[in-house]
Amino acid sequence: MATRDRLAMTYLRVAALNELQYRVNFFLSIVQSLVAVGTALVVLALVFSHTDSLGGWSSDELLVVMGVYVLIGGVIRSIIQPNMQQLMEDVEEGTLDYVLTKPADAQLLVSIRRFGLWQAVDVLVGLLLVGIALIRLDTGVAVWSVLAFVLALVLGGLDVYCFWLLLTSSAFVLTRVNFLVELFDGMYQAGRWPVTIYPGWLRIGFTFLVPLAFAVTVPASALTGRLSGWLLLGAVVFTAVLFALTRYVWSRSLRRYSGASA
Amino acid sequence: MTAGGDVDIRVEDLGKTFRVPEREAGLRASLRSLVRRTHRDVHAVTDVSFDIAPGEMVGFLGPNGAGKTTTLKMLSGLLVPTGGHATVLGHVPWQRERDYLRRMTLIMGNRNQLQWDIPALDSFELNRAIYRIPDAEFRALRDEIVELLEIGDLVRKPVRNLSLGERMKAEIAAALLHRPQVLFLDEPTIGLDVTMQKRIRSFLAEYNRRYGATMLLTSHYMADVQALCRRVVVIDHGAILYDGSLRELSSRYSPHQTISVTLDDQAAELSAYGEVLSAAEGRYALRVAKEQTSAVAARLLAAYDVRDLTIEDPPVEDVIEQVFAGSATTVEVTR
Repeated sequence: MATRDRLAMTYLRVAALNELQYRVNFFLSIVQSLVAVGTALVVLALVFSHTDSLGGWSSDELLVVMGVYVLIGGVIRSIIQPNMQQLMEDVEEGTLDYVLTKPADAQLLVSIRRFGLWQAVDVLVGLLLVGIALIRLDTGVAVWSVLAFVLALVLGGLDVYCFWLLLTSSAFVLTRVNFLVELFDGMYQAGRWPVTIYPGWLRIGFTFLVPLAFAVTVPASALTGRLSGWLLLGAVVFTAVLFALTRYVWSRSLRRYSGASA
Repeated sequence: MTAGGDVDIRVEDLGKTFRVPEREAGLRASLRSLVRRTHRDVHAVTDVSFDIAPGEMVGFLGPNGAGKTTTLKMLSGLLVPTGGHATVLGHVPWQRERDYLRRMTLIMGNRNQLQWDIPALDSFELNRAIYRIPDAEFRALRDEIVELLEIGDLVRKPVRNLSLGERMKAEIAAALLHRPQVLFLDEPTIGLDVTMQKRIRSFLAEYNRRYGATMLLTSHYMADVQALCRRVVVIDHGAILYDGSLRELSSRYSPHQTISVTLDDQAAELSAYGEVLSAAEGRYALRVAKEQTSAVAARLLAAYDVRDLTIEDPPVEDVIEQVFAGSATTVEVTR
């Protein structure tokens, strides 16, 4: 485990070096982030000028949801998406060969090669939004809620990662899968609202197919007194199963790539 | 040290057949293939066998699509064969054991692994972490390789600012930081100018001398092979045509030699001595059967005022061409 961490840290450092070459991107990221958050706040204000609660969530509670949405979005754009896009490119161009001749876990390698330093700004912006919302809520947050929130965030991040890797694994079969990026972006937009406001079939889809519920709604629930121990346990089990499934599909895809399964 | 004893690479009846979807040209055929796909088996490699001893440098020759890259990919663990067997350093390559991967490297001239935007030195750090090379050892070998390749200044520049040849040198350095015992090189000098090719060649020879590394090398440039490899394996249509010394390849596949003479007589008629390849300003080139060259040379010396006379083997490129031409006819016959 220690060597894994060291490997990940080396990659992180190198990726950060890569990013520092493009300082303009930092300011672009900030502007982009501000515009996105600004627009979302306006929409939120508009909705609450007509009603006091949406599906049982008050405006400040929805601000928590939005904060988590921005935060996880930052994780996706800085770590998950760049790595997966790199993986798609590598499959297309045949440079994945270099990954596979390395004496390290291939899944680990393809997951930590890229790191968008500037996109990580959104993680901070998201945390800031959550903080502001909590202050405005003024209900006090128990220590265990914070711990549950952190755990739920990690699980949610893992769920989104697994979902992406599952999608990307199809690159081994389909080769051209750039449209998947757009597809995911479109679906992730729906995560800015708690999944409980969507009709049943869509809610189930956003929970188990595209794990938006686990990525955004569950962590936000932890901070707004909505998360039961059972739900958190459910999130743990779901993540474990999804991770195992992803690992299986990934190794099947690799075997297919090398012609081991015919 | 290796399970194979005096053999580093052992390949036995290795074969790879790809199943590829097939359809005819045209819209109608495309639509039909949506419903029912027909497949065709492509035999990329069939029954390839050879042994390579530790420290040996072997040239792997063949035209495009002959099966060289497929074989290299099987030996470096990227492809699983559909038939036969192979061991490298006592390991079955496609099981991809870490112990094996740590002792080999694959260098492909047309693909790069270095990060584009940062100096190669930083990318080297990644390899140090992946191969878990102890710091002191890493620094020593890195500095040694950097010095041998004369890339001390280049590794500090972002890779995107390097020329193709400079980048290739940095790529090779990155691929050797873990001091692999077996090197698979697929066209390492492709697209490089002659000076750069020479540099890389002499570096590879030096690496082989210092560390006794085993190398299997494909190249379209015969100069690479001539400079580095005493032994060549020639492959075409997925099967081995020749395995032996480069010298014997010439004598077996080219029964001719070229006699070049310079005469005072500018209009000599030499067709009685052999096939006249060229004749200009008193310089003549004759193609003569190998066993007759000395007799023909003697007759020329007796009959003319010879200013200069040399006997040469044909260039290796021509010999190789001859080998493939031969193989094409055999294929025609077996069909």
